[in-house]
Amino acid sequence: MVNAIKGLFISCDIPMAQFIVNMNASMPASDKFIVHILDPTHMFIQPNMGDYIKSKMAEFRDQNSYEKPT
Amino acid sequence: MAGGDGDRARAPKRYKSSAPSKAALVDETAEMNYADDFDDDARDGDNEVKKRDFTKLELKPDHVNRPLWACADGRIFLETFSPLYKQAYDFLIAIAEPVCRPESMHEYNLTPHSLYAAVSVGLETNTIISVLSKLSKTKLPHEIIEFIHGSTANYGKVKLVLKKNQYFVESPFPEVLEKLLNDDVISKARKAPEDCLGGSAFAVSKAAREIASGHDLLDGTELADANEDKETHSFEVYSSQVENVKQRCLPNALNFPMLEEYDFRNDTVNPDLDMELKPQARPRPYQEKSLSKMFGNGRARSGIIVLPCGAGKSLVGVSAACRIKKSCLCLATNAVSVDQWAFQFKLWSTIRDEHISRFTSDNKEKFRGMAGVVVTTYNMVAFGGKRSEDSEKIIEEIRNREWGLLLMDEVHVVPAHMFRKVISITKSHCKLGLTATLVREDERITDLNFLIGPKLYEANWLDLVKGGFIANVQCAEVWCPMTKEFFAEYLKKENSKKKQVLYVMNPNKFRACEFLIRFHEQQRGDKIIVFADNLFALTAYAMKLRKPMIYGATSHAERTRILYQFKNSPEVNTVFLSKVGDNSIDIPEANVIIQISSHAGSRRQEAQRLGRILRAKGKHQDRMAGGKEEYNAFFYSLVSTDTQEMYYSTKRQQFLIDQGYSFKVITSLPPPEEGPNLSFHTLDEQLDLLGKVLSAGDDMIGVEHLEEDSDGKALLKARRSAGLMSAFSGAGGMVYMEYNKGKGAKKKDPAKRHTLFKKRYT
Repeated sequence: MVNAIKGLFISCDIPMAQFIVNMNASMPASDKFIVHILDPTHMFIQPNMGDYIKSKMAEFRDQNSYEKPT
Repeated sequence: MAGGDGDRARAPKRYKSSAPSKAALVDETAEMNYADDFDDDARDGDNEVKKRDFTKLELKPDHVNRPLWACADGRIFLETFSPLYKQAYDFLIAIAEPVCRPESMHEYNLTPHSLYAAVSVGLETNTIISVLSKLSKTKLPHEIIEFIHGSTANYGKVKLVLKKNQYFVESPFPEVLEKLLNDDVISKARKAPEDCLGGSAFAVSKAAREIASGHDLLDGTELADANEDKETHSFEVYSSQVENVKQRCLPNALNFPMLEEYDFRNDTVNPDLDMELKPQARPRPYQEKSLSKMFGNGRARSGIIVLPCGAGKSLVGVSAACRIKKSCLCLATNAVSVDQWAFQFKLWSTIRDEHISRFTSDNKEKFRGMAGVVVTTYNMVAFGGKRSEDSEKIIEEIRNREWGLLLMDEVHVVPAHMFRKVISITKSHCKLGLTATLVREDERITDLNFLIGPKLYEANWLDLVKGGFIANVQCAEVWCPMTKEFFAEYLKKENSKKKQVLYVMNPNKFRACEFLIRFHEQQRGDKIIVFADNLFALTAYAMKLRKPMIYGATSHAERTRILYQFKNSPEVNTVFLSKVGDNSIDIPEANVIIQISSHAGSRRQEAQRLGRILRAKGKHQDRMAGGKEEYNAFFYSLVSTDTQEMYYSTKRQQFLIDQGYSFKVITSLPPPEEGPNLSFHTLDEQLDLLGKVLSAGDDMIGVEHLEEDSDGKALLKARRSAGLMSAFSGAGGMVYMEYNKGKGAKKKDPAKRHTLFKKRYT
């Protein structure tokens, strides 16, 4: 019997996939959101987490980019 | 319209870090394009701040012929393709601070400090305004005119003069001196004249007539500064207070900045030194220009000259000393550069060997004769502890002498407190600071303005490149993606201390480095320096690639041997250097730099490292545009993407970008077909490396701390402790022990002593 789950399919590069995996690992067990890691650049996650991941990623990127003060 | 353009122009920068990660989320359920709208939100805010509307500025009818735009907020934009560029550049560099100088458009900023510098090289308020309005495409906004008036009105009225070892504040306007003395700090610093009690009488003397030379501006406006013989009024100040007095007079306090000038031709008190430039020493045009700013009116002014590394700073220093022809004290950062300076003096000038002496911890040469050149380090002069008898004598001599010129090398590296000490110890008529990079991360650069003087000249790097005086460097930033395993470890919280070593040891970076070394060694026959601040990475890279390396602990003999091999042997083409290579090691042969790790976001370090390969090589005509070797020097910075290194890397590049350099981003290194030819190709090898990195102790992976480093806060931990041979051998201490016993511990009540001994102990 096949179970259908609604979710979000993510495709990204290798480091970002690791970033998401790391984020998932730091959550308490009840909040884990990765349903399945398909390969190093693709994964399937809970549908409601898209925005959260994006905001975290933006934060991470901002930390690593320098903008010249004016 | 301006806002829209700005948006598009800035957009690539914002995406810089995100573009390579291609982190696009594909939403299965909703068809929303997230990526677009959250970036828009983020940008709306800063649009408001950055938008400056200059549409109201009125264009002059013949604006095409004029080279610059002056905006009401003090910013000036200069077109470098204008036929008047050269003249306009010379003028702007005198009155404004360069902000950013890329190839075709320069940005400058008018500041009170830069205008102070302009006045001190002899430009007058009205000249500044008239020349600026002649050059400007638009009518000068009244804000600018007011600003120039406001900030230059008080300039040039007060002078600080050193006569016979005493400092005097001089002015032709007694009311100005009156005003100065109303200030607490200054009145305390005043040395009361002996004959009258606390009165406000000033010593009055006849001032030498100023003979200002004409300035070659545009249509050759001659500014004969025909001052008649004026009476000058002066009062004396304590030499210990001079710095405070100077600081009180700066624009942010009393606003009467002082000029320091030295009329060396009429100085009959100090003995002359017989030295001339040798005929084969031909200063280049920009060196002449910087010297002409210093000696503009026949007197010597104090200030700073900024020239890129490798552009011949030492010739400027030696020429200045040759013009003044008085005793000269030359300060360098370490013993190696002391030797280099002494050598430069002998090379370019006719000074006799016995007139030049070096004073370092292991080389104490006595002065001979009445005048001479002394080369020493900042540390030797500023050292506060007990000295050996020899050096005490020499220091005493330095302290008592009135120096004609105080020549200071690499002024940007010396911490302000050390400068204060040096300047308070030595009495000099004129101070000249030399540097390549007038930036510090701790923002202490402005201190130099009152400690030494205004910036007299700053060369434009790109113009020197075009003239073929320094090498034309191709700068590249190589983006190396993190491997899966390394990035996973990088993200873990418990590895926060190891972040640096993880991104430096990234196998993709290693492969890129190996590829570049191989390419330049084999295809082009270049000489390569690899820089790594991280000692663990330095050793790991050098061992794996089997190349020689030099770091702080490498002995002097081994250093010399490795460098000799690097210079002369065709076998050794690559050398690995830690931070020690940033300043002190002179390797003119190298023309490729690969940087694998660096000291956080230090812009100075980046510029200094680039400086290692700036010395022009090869034939002059080959290096000009279109010649066969248009680019003959390469600067690679290897960066692991998605890590902190991206942040630091962009920050570090700012200084060079402001000088007009552009960094090319390379993303596809090493090329995929190299595959197994390079190390760490297989996952097993990479995991093995990861294991080594993770098991390394915290002490091994840190950044190397060097004694002579002193760039601000980050390096407070490492301080040079006094280095006297006698102290290390123990000889110094023993002598003083006896005195200590007598004076301190066993002090008896003098009343109980026998009358014969009473005198000895009190």
